[in-house]
Amino acid sequence: MTHQTHSYHMVNPSPWPLTGALSAFLMTSGLIMWFHFNSLILLALSLLTNTLTMYQWWRDIVRESTFQGHHTPTVQKGLRYGMILFILSEALFFMGFFWAFYHSSLAPTPELGGSWPPTGIHPLNPLEVPLLNTSVLLASGVSITWAHHSLMEGNRKHTLQALLITIMLGLYFTLLQVSEYYEASFTISDGIYGSTFFVATGFHGLHVIIGSTFLIVCFMRQLTFHFTSNHHFGFEAAAWYWHFVDVVWLFLYISIYWWGS
Amino acid sequence: MYYKFSSFTQKLTGAWASDAYNPQGLRPVVSTEAPPIIFATPTKLSSNSTAYDYAGKNKVPELQKFFQKSDGVPIHLKRGLPDQMLYRTTMALTVGGTIYCLIALYMASQPRNK
Repeated sequence: MTHQTHSYHMVNPSPWPLTGALSAFLMTSGLIMWFHFNSLILLALSLLTNTLTMYQWWRDIVRESTFQGHHTPTVQKGLRYGMILFILSEALFFMGFFWAFYHSSLAPTPELGGSWPPTGIHPLNPLEVPLLNTSVLLASGVSITWAHHSLMEGNRKHTLQALLITIMLGLYFTLLQVSEYYEASFTISDGIYGSTFFVATGFHGLHVIIGSTFLIVCFMRQLTFHFTSNHHFGFEAAAWYWHFVDVVWLFLYISIYWWGS
Repeated sequence: MYYKFSSFTQKLTGAWASDAYNPQGLRPVVSTEAPPIIFATPTKLSSNSTAYDYAGKNKVPELQKFFQKSDGVPIHLKRGLPDQMLYRTTMALTVGGTIYCLIALYMASQPRNK
């Protein structure tokens, strides 16, 4: 019976990278079919296969770590590097949209009326719902820190409570943003203002939904006793991602909502 | 009035009687042996009598034993039938979808004569 003499994880052959790559192909082709030929079937199929891939891939990671014990400290270190690099790549992604916003807003063209906000655009009042949204996300940052400390202290009840509060705040933010989108007097097609506003805040909203989903998964894992007080990297990764989402919002609020109004 | 130590504020705060009788972090002893099945009267598992019963008992140790069986089955199929079904569905939809997509792209690349 051979045993490995190193602390790395030699993963079983897995079909999910292939199905993930194919679902990405279906997604891009599906978008083409939707834009140019008014057909949604391929896009719907791609979203389904993408979700199936993500569910099974991450399910397997939970099995490999919590149930099979493959996540040694060495492996965990690699996962930490990976998550940090991923979040850094996302930060750069958002920087692109902030670049676009500042490019257009620092030197508004004559077509816009030479001003920012452009003539005819009535921006949202930054001291109303956007300020509430800021306080909601900041509070969720506090509650997730509370959850982490409770987890490290072995306090199961408080961990669950604090995680639940964080998730509720995230969902509240999403609902508030949806109502803001509905109530806004301008749309995405209202010139460069509309484009920069909705693309930047829209991608942020998508990341809030992704972060909330990650937190819900952590909640379910905590319910089923997966996390221990000193090994809970899934939770830490979710917390890092959530703080990142919060920071992006602060930049959005200051740049687009406040300075840009 | 009952009190407990709040790990958040690091002070004593008010608490309900349930916190006093089941202090935080102190788990009641739960028997892992299955109780003897008595057909005459309904059985009551000891885990049901704890004050906090979040989603039942901890199943992680049994799952650990299950997934560590050395049967050579890869992780994505280790649970048997449900894993197989989901795998086959995903593969069928993905590969089938790719073939459909290639055909659709081929047709879309044909010039349309007006």
